[in-house]
Amino acid sequence: MSVAAQSVASAPRVRSGRWAPALAGALALLLVAAAAEIVLDGAAGHSALIPKSPAIAGWLSGVGERLGYRVFLIALLVSVGAYTGLLALARRRELSLISKRSAIALVGALHLIVFVGPILLSTDVFSYIAYARMGVEHGLNPYLHGPSSILGDPVYSYVGKDWKHVATAYGPFYTLLSYPLAPLGLTGALWGMKLEALLASVGTLALTWRCARARELDPVWAILAVGANPLYVIYGLGGAHNDLIMLVAMMGAVSLTLVTPGSHGREAGAASLIVAGALVKATVAALLPFMIVSRRRLAPILGALAMLALGAVIGYAAFGIHGIDVVSALNRDAAFVSTDSFAAEIAHLFGKPGVFPIDHDLLKAGLVLIVLHLLWRTWRGYDWIAAAGWSLLAISVTSTWLLAWYILWPLPLAVVCRDRRLLIATLAVQGLFVAHQITPLLVPVS
Amino acid sequence: MSAPPSSTPSGFGARLPAWLRPRDVELPGLGTMRLVETTVLVLVGLLLAIATINDVVLQTHVNHRLVADLRTWRQYTGHDYKNLSVEQDLRGHTTRDVICGNTSPGPPKERTQLCLAMTGPVVAGRREARSGWYLPPKSEDLHGKRYGCFGVAKDEGLCSP
Repeated sequence: MSVAAQSVASAPRVRSGRWAPALAGALALLLVAAAAEIVLDGAAGHSALIPKSPAIAGWLSGVGERLGYRVFLIALLVSVGAYTGLLALARRRELSLISKRSAIALVGALHLIVFVGPILLSTDVFSYIAYARMGVEHGLNPYLHGPSSILGDPVYSYVGKDWKHVATAYGPFYTLLSYPLAPLGLTGALWGMKLEALLASVGTLALTWRCARARELDPVWAILAVGANPLYVIYGLGGAHNDLIMLVAMMGAVSLTLVTPGSHGREAGAASLIVAGALVKATVAALLPFMIVSRRRLAPILGALAMLALGAVIGYAAFGIHGIDVVSALNRDAAFVSTDSFAAEIAHLFGKPGVFPIDHDLLKAGLVLIVLHLLWRTWRGYDWIAAAGWSLLAISVTSTWLLAWYILWPLPLAVVCRDRRLLIATLAVQGLFVAHQITPLLVPVS
Repeated sequence: MSAPPSSTPSGFGARLPAWLRPRDVELPGLGTMRLVETTVLVLVGLLLAIATINDVVLQTHVNHRLVADLRTWRQYTGHDYKNLSVEQDLRGHTTRDVICGNTSPGPPKERTQLCLAMTGPVVAGRREARSGWYLPPKSEDLHGKRYGCFGVAKDEGLCSP
């Protein structure tokens, strides 16, 4: 190529290089402003989007106005647009638009804003506290009773109405992790839960960074893709969901296998970490078969069995046989149907009023086929991290009980795997989830 | 023919036959498989996108109906209250909605409530309220709590005797 041709080809790049940093800064500001709008308006209370809660963000309540669907959805759509634009810009490494420091500052600001605000969009955290208080304050087994057994406890009135009679479906490690927060009182426990979620998120991002570097991917882009993701920040962190604790265990396991590949001890540790994560929330167990098929060593099998035995002993000692009966809890929850699930949407598309038992069976069969295909690919050498990510995405898409934080599960794996299709698919599914929320923006009911 | 594993495993892995050893690179010959996978992914993505858009459109129609229901209740009672409760027929999957609200000013459900059952199509931004009933203060819309049924609700025995 001639010098003249080179200068012509590089001209647009030079021009884009001028406006790109300003655009990246504007998009980052939009993300922060949208999160702040949701948090400040949410702190004003009296919103259908903010669960009834003790006034933990009362000091912010004078700043915003009551959070309505319109403002929330506009802020969410702005966040999604800014996030997409920022990822596209950050992908252009030749521009070096976003430094490590700016990316950490942006993700840190988003986390801080959400941390200081009220609980957003979900009552789940009150169920976590209720189960902890049942065990510690009332001497009840949370695997046998629902929060309705502690009617007089201050947390009871905050538990979601669908969950008042439901025993915990979380693993014994999570239940025991939540127990030290129970004596802190409702407000103390709530802050404890928020802190746990924040620390888990920071851990997940640090491990995502580590994994991206180990795979010679851009770690700045990786933490932006996870830590600035609107569903991750607003729904996951905003609701203080224990999925974040599961994710830190998941990324810890992935990190152990990537940083020193081939180490027996680390592979055993990784497998045991996956099982420990599954004893927080069972879904992460989906990683284990892919890791074992990929490594084909005894170490991960032994590591998994050792942690399983330890978990069974601890679970049994603390909660009896019900504390280790994960299967029945999963079967119970698998029967639930949420309006946001793709299964329900497809049923409506075919003129059915909802999901029927036969549909549950078909979805399970489809999931089994997908997992078998992925195991076969992994056996042939396909990236096990990508295969595990696909399986987590398939679990959320085929689930009849889909919530925003479920489609966060594959995200950290998607940014560090070797198959870019997984990230595109994960973000597309998240985009469809957001699109499904917009009806109140089109036709507000008031 | 199988390609040799790209890594050189030690211990247990080294004792395995070549075709069983762990691989860091996928075996060649799966170009078509990738194409098939991508095609299936695109098709599934299209199905999910169409289902999502369809659901948004359906929900938009429901919201149009609910807006008409609320407008009808306000016009019927002459009260421009904001906090009205709406109950859809989720079990029977009909378009019959029940709107309840206070008959005098006060916090939601703290006064005697008037419930109107709305049916039929939206005409000029409103629906037909052919029946209804009253509820005592601080009550949910349960059969045992209803009284003073009128219209079709009276014929159908929707109030407690």
